[in-house]
Amino acid sequence: MRLPRLFTAALLAATVLGTGAPASAQTIGYIYVGPEKDYGYNTSHDLGRQHVEKTVKGTKTLHVENIPETAEVTKVMERMIKSGATIVFATSYGYLDYAIELGKKYPKVAFMHAGGLKLGDNVGTYWANSDDAIYLAGMAAGAVTKSGKLGFIAAFPIPQVIRSINAFTLGAQSVNPKVTTTVVWTGGWLLPAKEAEASNALIDAGVDVIGEQVDSPITIAQTAEKRGIHVVGKDVDVSKFAPKAVLTGASWNWGPTMVKVVDEIKAGTWKPSHIRGDLKDGTVNLDPFGPAVTEPVRKRIIAKKAEILDGKFVVWSGPLIAQDGQELLAAGKPMSMDMLESMDFFVQGVVGTIQ
Amino acid sequence: MNAIDIVLGGFLISALRSATPLLFVLMGETLTQRTGIVNLGVEGQMLVGAMAGYAATAMSGNPWLGLAAGAGAGFALSWVHALLAVGVHANAFASGLAVWMLGFGLSAYYGSGLVGAKIDGFATIDAGAIATVPVIGSVVAGMTPTVAGALLLVPMASWWFWHTRTGLRWRAVGEAPAAARTAGVHPAWVQVQAIVLGGVLSGIGGAALSVDYTRTWAEGMSAGRGLVAVGLVIVARWNPWWTLPAALLFGGTEALSLRLQAAQVPVSAQLLHILPYVVSLAVLTIVCLRRRTGGTPAGLAAVFDR
Repeated sequence: MRLPRLFTAALLAATVLGTGAPASAQTIGYIYVGPEKDYGYNTSHDLGRQHVEKTVKGTKTLHVENIPETAEVTKVMERMIKSGATIVFATSYGYLDYAIELGKKYPKVAFMHAGGLKLGDNVGTYWANSDDAIYLAGMAAGAVTKSGKLGFIAAFPIPQVIRSINAFTLGAQSVNPKVTTTVVWTGGWLLPAKEAEASNALIDAGVDVIGEQVDSPITIAQTAEKRGIHVVGKDVDVSKFAPKAVLTGASWNWGPTMVKVVDEIKAGTWKPSHIRGDLKDGTVNLDPFGPAVTEPVRKRIIAKKAEILDGKFVVWSGPLIAQDGQELLAAGKPMSMDMLESMDFFVQGVVGTIQ
Repeated sequence: MNAIDIVLGGFLISALRSATPLLFVLMGETLTQRTGIVNLGVEGQMLVGAMAGYAATAMSGNPWLGLAAGAGAGFALSWVHALLAVGVHANAFASGLAVWMLGFGLSAYYGSGLVGAKIDGFATIDAGAIATVPVIGSVVAGMTPTVAGALLLVPMASWWFWHTRTGLRWRAVGEAPAAARTAGVHPAWVQVQAIVLGGVLSGIGGAALSVDYTRTWAEGMSAGRGLVAVGLVIVARWNPWWTLPAALLFGGTEALSLRLQAAQVPVSAQLLHILPYVVSLAVLTIVCLRRRTGGTPAGLAAVFDR
């Protein structure tokens, strides 16, 4: 909803202007593409913001939600800077070029962008690999399913989503080789009505565990709870809203990374780089298990997690078979960075189309 | 249940479920436009209806109160459009946009605490003996009160519109406001009534979306459905009877696009997502080619012909 977003953006930007932070305290600005209370991607960043405000003494944060990935974000960032912000967290993928451009105009301000692959003189990026955690969550799905039919509701066929679908399926197959994952694309990050309908359609087709990568797992989790099946979450743990349905999930934990960056900037030691976290450093967490995951299964998943942390097991390594049965990677071969970051294929057992 | 029941019955009921929130909004907007007023604010009215309905259901545990709260919220917000567009003759499009933004902002602000709140929603209706009839039985048994209510609304509203004196007055205001005035009808008052009735129906539609269809509240959850309803009025040729096939056309194709994927049919998801819009556009083109005026109320057409 571009138009209302623009209007809320203007309104909220006006609010930011009005708060006028004192220049002495460290002021940090946060910009979100969606609602801060979406219980998904944007909430995960807002939790990071709250962690920074609590942990780093003498900081004050500003935050603005629902800013589209257009020139609008430049205006919002500029207003934040004029309100005293010396660090700006631009948390949506499409903000990158605007941040780099504005970085040239304000060389003393530090910009941190989520997930970008470009740097500026004062623009760094941060992101985390959630594939390992999703693989482990997929193990829970594979162990719990009775029908052997898993579903995955996803927004768009882009590499980071395709990686999740494949990791989820591989994890499930590691405990139950016969499982299949049926993919349903919704065509949008936040379309609750379609997410509910997609869940119902999958459940009617016999699916009894659903994975997801849309903005927030909440609609799917609540539908699953109502229909008596299970879900694997992502981005934020929503188990308190669907206690029986949620098996586990892969949640972001941006706080520590953000604190580290802010501390470095304050100390003057910060240099723009691509910071990449994972399960090992705690930027991604495997959520607590739900009651449907039995003790032996939990042990098995925890053991596999230890292997991943030790480097004894690598999710993205051969043997890897494509959807059509072709061999993608021979046994023991690791996947190249390029193949991983531009992933455009499904593994065997995934039912659905990318094109 | 046999396979045909699951596939056909499952598709029919999901098409109906998907069409239900839209049908309420579409009926309201059709009646509003028949009096010569366009209201783009239905999108915002849907959102406040969805938010208020969800809040009332979460607090009281009663989904019927949720529908009532949704109706009330839509009613209240639509007064803004009534006062602007009719009261002070503001441009109806600008006023509708303002109502949309207002509804978006208000529902986001007051709804922020509702994300994740739990409700039970409606149970499906008791189909009794009908449940044993093939296909139809599984469709009726899968209906919730909002689906049944939307289906009942169509004949009731249509009969009222075509066969009562008040219906005639509303039509007269939409076709020839000056003539209606000489007959002793106050066009402005009729238009205000039509706008707030549209407000009530779009509020119920929003509440049906949050309380019944998705059983969740999310900011901006109507995701353009209100505007789709404004467009579908043209497909329905401003005829209350035709709101049912128009809403089913959209709801059915949307449900189909998701069901085909869930049924593992190898078709392009991107193409499926545009299916509801392509089908609506195709119907619109065909209808317009066959009947050039196609049922636009003259009073409304005058807005565009100036």
